[in-house]
Amino acid sequence: MFRDLYLVPLLIFIFSYIFIYLGNKKAYNIFLYLIYGGFAAQSALLFGWLYVNGFNLMPVDNIVFFNAWLLMVVVVLFTLFYRARYILVYITPVVALNLLIAFFAPHNAVKPLAFQGQDLSVLLLHIILVLIGDSIFALAFIISLIYILQERKIKLKKNLKLFNKKEIPFYEFFYLGKGYNLELLDSINYQCLKIGFPLITLGIAVGIYLSSSIFKSFMIAKPIEIISLITWLIYAVLLHERIARGVRGKKAAVFSIIGFLFIVSSLSFSLYLFPKFHGLK
Amino acid sequence: MDILIIGLNHKSAGIGEREIVSKKLLTPELRLKFYESIKELKDEAGGRIIAESAVLTTCNRSEFIFSLSPSHTRSGKGHLIKNFISDYFFSPDSEKEDIFYMFLNKDAVMHLFKVASSLDSMVVGEPQILGQIKDAYNESCDFKMAGPALNKLFHKTFYCAKKVRTETKIASSPVSISYAAVELSRKIFNNLQEKKILLLGAGETGRLTLRHFIKFGVRNIHVANRTREKAFDFIEEAFEPEEKKCLNVIDFSEYFRLLPSSDIILCSTSSDEYVLKYGDIMPIIKLRKQKPLFLIDISVPRNIDPEVNKISNVYLFDIDDIGKMIEGNMETRKKESENAEGIIHSIAKEFLEWKESLNVVPVIVSLRNKVKDVLERELSNYIEKKDEKDLIINSITNKILHEPVTLIKKTVRDSDGPSKIEMLKSLFNLGAEGEKDEEAPGNRNKKGSKPSKNHPERIKLIK
Repeated sequence: MFRDLYLVPLLIFIFSYIFIYLGNKKAYNIFLYLIYGGFAAQSALLFGWLYVNGFNLMPVDNIVFFNAWLLMVVVVLFTLFYRARYILVYITPVVALNLLIAFFAPHNAVKPLAFQGQDLSVLLLHIILVLIGDSIFALAFIISLIYILQERKIKLKKNLKLFNKKEIPFYEFFYLGKGYNLELLDSINYQCLKIGFPLITLGIAVGIYLSSSIFKSFMIAKPIEIISLITWLIYAVLLHERIARGVRGKKAAVFSIIGFLFIVSSLSFSLYLFPKFHGLK
Repeated sequence: MDILIIGLNHKSAGIGEREIVSKKLLTPELRLKFYESIKELKDEAGGRIIAESAVLTTCNRSEFIFSLSPSHTRSGKGHLIKNFISDYFFSPDSEKEDIFYMFLNKDAVMHLFKVASSLDSMVVGEPQILGQIKDAYNESCDFKMAGPALNKLFHKTFYCAKKVRTETKIASSPVSISYAAVELSRKIFNNLQEKKILLLGAGETGRLTLRHFIKFGVRNIHVANRTREKAFDFIEEAFEPEEKKCLNVIDFSEYFRLLPSSDIILCSTSSDEYVLKYGDIMPIIKLRKQKPLFLIDISVPRNIDPEVNKISNVYLFDIDDIGKMIEGNMETRKKESENAEGIIHSIAKEFLEWKESLNVVPVIVSLRNKVKDVLERELSNYIEKKDEKDLIINSITNKILHEPVTLIKKTVRDSDGPSKIEMLKSLFNLGAEGEKDEEAPGNRNKKGSKPSKNHPERIKLIK
């Protein structure tokens, strides 16, 4: 019943893309309003669920829905801060995909006995930290993809067209307009790393604490832990290289993409292959 | 007399090929060498093929404008000249003839008018080309390579270009190389205000580009030129007082010191070899901690090694790369081009009529001499004073020939004009006399020599 409501923001997001193809400034504004409208619908659904169920562990589909909402929060904050609203065009499909996954995801309930009292709060903290970190890295992933494509265009000098200011077609301004430069994209990517890395580190640390307190073992060398460690190492190396050696641009973008692919795999492992770790049946 | 244009431009040849031609025409001395070589081009009978010539070189084109000797009119010597030019710049077995285009008479005149009106430019409507054509013409005059045909052709060209500019909107808002350079840098950098620019060389495109950057808030610009004084003059003459505050002149030997701190490097020197090579930039990008570096090479021959673009976080654009990206408002330009074509057609028609009338000048001069000879012989018996006699001869000649000359000039424009002229020649037995006086253009203006048939003085006489 509740999951049917996921379709509301999903359909709003899909519908909004019609306005992109209309190709004028008014339509672009309508597109933005619709995206923000979809985000408002997501928020209303989430707070509605929290109002009904309280601050508690969610079933899997709700977690994916919550992840989509977090991703949207991150993106909206970044687009407002960097005044680069074009990012919404690329990231909204990822949010929509999350909603679609949430719609089809199993409605597995949490195991009530495994986590109780303090452990439950720590588990919630672990999930929230990791999901915010992952959302920020998802944004970095999309930004990195845009960077690589844009950089390739500039390097190969292909499909780069310049227009007289008065004559710029709407779609050109929209896709390649100001603010859409390599330096800004790299800067957003770096910012994502600087914010996302501490969150994910803290999330993993909390996860390790939970693992040791519940399963009475610090490291049981399951694939999820190995993948999490590799993911953390990738981002740690990237951060170190950026600070110490000034690595930036394409190399940093490639690192971000690889890092996010590991995040996706560790999330898949944790939610689908090893549901027990997170109290899921 | 035929007008012939042979050349290559950004549409017919790649930058590498244009570079080879440009390098061999880089200095006035090299161009003089070319002029002298092509002047010596002779036919099977040993007669010179080319009467007048001019060389136009810009960063996007090299064109050779010729007026052929009257005896080679419609002789099909164009391919011979084209092969000569191709062999002059490339090795004979390189088979580069295809990169050269060739236009004759009407097509040549139309082409030159289009080039001058900036319809054939990489950036349609750009203003520099007219100045470059003027320079080419002045140089041809200095080298005594221009004669009446090219004089008239170039003056009509300037008139046409000005008319196109004033009567159409073709030059109203061109997407220029300088605008393109700024827009490209905005695809790489987020905040241009903080960026440092280094300009190597002090040229017109460099000036325009710097002005664009200053307009977008760049406040830290260094200019390096081989002649330091020229760089000072360049800043003094080409920029507003407010703009000058952003510009600093440095010694050309010092520019290397500034490379690591420069974000955008503009290169427009007239050097015939690379000023910045792969090995120069590689350590600099490490010193810059991989910060992006944007290089714009607006010179031909190129001043920056193309290999530099392979370095990570370095973006190099040469004049061809920028040109390919410029997409103006095609609709507006197409419409304005149609208007401009109308102007070009009408001025080209005027020139071609003048050119055709020039073809009958030898006939008119011969006819006039014939009448004068008869009168001279007959009147010598009756009038002794030379001045008096000459006055009477001229007066009678003018009266007899006024109407025939007017009719001959009109005849030239008719389709059967040439046959009528031939008939006139045979009636008065003018053929032999008309052909014996063919002089090379270089000899025409020598002191004390008899003015040739096409000399402006003679043309004035028959007008």
